[in-house]
Parts: sequence; C-alpha cells; structure tokens
Amino acid sequence: MDYVSPIDPRVAEPLARAPRPAALEGRRVVLLDITKNRGAEFLDRVEQHLQRRGAETFRIAKETFSRAASGEVIERVAIHGDLAVEGLAD
Amino acid sequence: MAERMPQFTLPLVGGGPVSLATLVEDGPRLLVFAHADCPTSHLALRHLAELVDGPVKPVLIAEEPPERAARMARRSGIRFPVLAQEAPFVVSEQFGIEAVPTAVLVDRSSTAVDSLVGWDRAGYERLLGGPLPDRGPSTKPGCGSRLHEPAAEAGLDELEDMFERGWTDGLPVVPPTPERVERMLGGRDPGRSLGTVPPSGGSAALERVAACAVLAGCRPEYFPVVEAAVEAALDPALNPHGLAVTTQPGGVVMVVNGPARERLGLNTGMGALGPGTRANMTIGRALRLVLTLTGGALPGRLDRSTLGSPAKLGLCIAEDEEGSPWEPLHVERGLEPAASAVTVVAADAPLSISDHRSTTPDELASVFAEAAAVTWSPFWWPMPDDSLFVIGPEHAAMFAAAGWSKERLRDAIFAAAVRPAGELRRGETTPAVRESPDDRPIHKWTDPSRILIVVAGGEAGRYSAVLGPCDGMQTQPVTREVRWTT
Repeated sequence: MDYVSPIDPRVAEPLARAPRPAALEGRRVVLLDITKNRGAEFLDRVEQHLQRRGAETFRIAKETFSRAASGEVIERVAIHGDLAVEGLAD
Repeated sequence: MAERMPQFTLPLVGGGPVSLATLVEDGPRLLVFAHADCPTSHLALRHLAELVDGPVKPVLIAEEPPERAARMARRSGIRFPVLAQEAPFVVSEQFGIEAVPTAVLVDRSSTAVDSLVGWDRAGYERLLGGPLPDRGPSTKPGCGSRLHEPAAEAGLDELEDMFERGWTDGLPVVPPTPERVERMLGGRDPGRSLGTVPPSGGSAALERVAACAVLAGCRPEYFPVVEAAVEAALDPALNPHGLAVTTQPGGVVMVVNGPARERLGLNTGMGALGPGTRANMTIGRALRLVLTLTGGALPGRLDRSTLGSPAKLGLCIAEDEEGSPWEPLHVERGLEPAASAVTVVAADAPLSISDHRSTTPDELASVFAEAAAVTWSPFWWPMPDDSLFVIGPEHAAMFAAAGWSKERLRDAIFAAAVRPAGELRRGETTPAVRESPDDRPIHKWTDPSRILIVVAGGEAGRYSAVLGPCDGMQTQPVTREVRWTT
C-alpha cells in the first residue's frame, strides 16, 4: 500500500557518526560550551584530561543554551577542530 | 555449503544502493535475513547489537521496505549496515531463504560458505568469530520468510504497519493514503512548505502536514486550523528547536479563538481540556505529529525530555468567549473578534486548581497565585516565561460580578505570587535571589504580561487550571489567523 509519508526523506535518517579517532595526540579538539549552568566547569576538567593526552584544545561558547547554535558557531567548530566535545551539563 | 552466490544490489538504509561485491570487498560478511514480524529475528538482532568488532561483520537484509527496515535497526540498536528488500523478495529467493532469521556467511569471492537457520547463539558465535551476550534463550526456532507468505498477507495489517513505520505517538493512527491526504489538502498545493521543522529540519510541505492531520484523525475541515497552528509553532519566537530537544517536559499547547470553534465543533465547555471531543483531540495531536515526525523530535532520540508529559500528546483548548466576561485571547493579541486564530504557548500539562470557598475575587486570585507558585520550580523566581491560566466559568463569574477586568486579575495574581528572597534560597535559586537581601520581594514572573488568561470549562464546578511554564527557553506565545481559503 502506498502512503504519503509525514517524513521528509532528506532528513529521514540521522547522519552517520564519524569514526572514533585512534589517538588524541596532536589532534585539535573544540570544547563547545552551550552556556548551560556549570557546563564550563565540566569542560575545564575535560580540557585538562585532553591536554594531558597531547590534544590541542580550543574553547567556543554558544550565546544561549536554549537555541540552536548559529551557523557562525558551527563554522568555527568545523574550522578549529578535528573533534568536538559539547558540554551539556547542568 | 560452498556456492558462488549471484550478485544482487539492494538499497542501504540511510544510503544508496549497495551490491554484494561491495559488501564483501573488505572481508567475509554474515548476511542476516530477517523481518519485523518475527520475534526470533528481533532476538537475534538484539544480541548482534552488542557484538564487538570481530573478523566477520554482519549485515541485516530486512524483508521490509526501507522505513520499516530502519525501524527494526532502531528497535534492536544494531549499528551495522541494513539493506531493505521488498516484495517479491528476489534476493531471499536467490539465497533459498525458507525461514528467518537465516544467517549466510559469504566470503570475499561472494561464495556462501556456511549458514544457520533460526536463533542459535553458539552457531552465531562460530560464524562471527566473536562472543555474544549470554542472556535469553540460547536457541529458538525461526519464522517463515516473507518469500513464502501469500501475496495477500505479504503486507502487514495497515494499522500495525503504521507502528512499524514509526508514524505514531504510541496510539493507533489513521493510515495516510493518497486519497485521504488529498481530501485533507482540499485543493491546496501539496508542495508548498510552511517552513522547516526543527530539530531535524524536515520541510513542512503541506502534503506532510496533511499526512500528519490524517494520521491524527482530523476531518478535512479541521485542516486550516492545523495549518495555522503549524505556522505559529514554527515561528522562531516560540523557539521550536529548544522545545523539541530540551530535557524539560513541556509541550506546545494551542488555544483556538473565533468562529473556528463553532464551525469545527471544538469543545469550549465541560471537559474543555479533554478528552472527549474529536476536533480538540485530533487538531492538537496533528500539530504534535508534525513536530515529532516531520521535525524528527522522536521521544528518546532527538526529543530528550526526561519525563515527557501528557501535554506532549497535543492539547488544543478552545476558549469559551461567549461565557467569558473579558475580551478573548486573540483580540488581546491584536486580531479582530470575527477572526479565527490559533495561539501556541510552550507549556506543561495542566495543574488543576480547586476552590469552592473563596468569597472575594482577591482571595481567589491569591489561590491562583499559590497554585502557580509551585509550577516549574517552587524556588526559581522570577521566571521570564508564560503561564496559561484556564479560568472555569464559575470562577470567571466571581470576577465578573465584582467588575474585575482581565488586566486587574492578571495584576492581582502577579502581586500575590511574591516571596521575600530569603524564602527562596532552597534548591534552585536564581542569580536575582542570590544577589538580593533576604527581605527583598521577588515575584514568580518577571512581569504580569507573562500571565495569559482564557476562559473555558463546564458551567458547574469551581475549578480553574494553570499550565506551567517552560523556563529558560526564551519562548514567546505566537498567534496566527486561520485562513479558510486555499
């Protein structure tokens, strides 16, 4: 039976996850702070661990946690990072 | 068993066509034939989902169309490739599949070197060269392949099919056949889009909105209201992205005003917050299905609401303008009284307020304030967010008899929902509370305009309700006029 789908085929399936990197040495890791309460504290600790493992870190913050990241923020994450860690903590 | 298999190409779920030769390029593959109506298939897939990398990688060949194949993968949690195979199941025929699950080990030369029918944990471990979780039955007979189902049974029951596709909020839906969707559209351009629906960014083409209205059980005459509701809900001022993905429980609640209420038979009276009336129940549900299905805000996936809420099934409230002593919500928000309109508000499920004993409007307003004080968080004050009060007719009559305007009621609720900062230093505390001396009064809301008031409900019983806010979402109510013409 044919039906009219409520789903836009362009976004029907989530994007595939990127492969997990084998090592962090020399990789650029963006730490994205969404400005949620205490998220920065969480990222501070993550940053220490990453730096100990030889990663180069770079901090970027969203203007507000309650709205989607702007194109500019996403572009900066893409430019500055091989990997990204997002701090969703509260 | 060592037989060179014929080449085939099937669509990869979430990708393009894939051939057998491509699959075995990097090494042997275990082709697992299965379908969604077979509990043994699900049992096998749930185990395979926990397989750690081994020498042989599995591939699911689902005897299902792509959407149902994708759903099988989601339900079982598998992360390996899924190929969709539809009737007449040529590949199952080529491989001689009698039952599912059947696993066929194919080497790099596309030769089938081993196979296994049904569920047998040890057998799968042998074929895959790696351990599987040791739980549940170690063996289980399979089910018939779809290849051998009579044509009439090849498809699922229509209603079950909707669940398999995931086109549901958990309740049965009406299948969106092209005929039903066309009737729902009523001549509108099916390709015209009302915008993109966050979080996934699916386009709200009218035919998809109409499909959701059909799924929800709407009659075609409801569609203009659904259309206005979707338009309003996609306005960035409501912050539909934040509401879709937040851990908060809130839903998008809608208030309908104007002639649409009578025209569509919306209930403004007894049981106004539901259930019982088709128009209210299905219009609210249609909006939610657009947000969930077209927008991809599937609970537990992109919708990260910790608890969820009955408000997220959809809630369409029609205001009892005739029983209200005040101007209706859409007029307050700048539209003509004769216009039909939808106002969407980010709100949690209703908290009912019983008060049969207040003797003055001030006393009753203070009871409303006490009830609203505990919503969202009892101590996170002040909130820059909206609370929607639904005032029952008997309560409204008390304010009317005393000559109170809506503005006066709003100000009275605001004024009564106040505490000294010292009493708000518990649990969650806002910077405003932390930085204030103990005796500084702090209000529940940042300003009285955050209090929305409508009238609805049955004529007997002194009840009202407050629909709690969604805090921190930077959301504003949005009103859209209903356009009846196409």
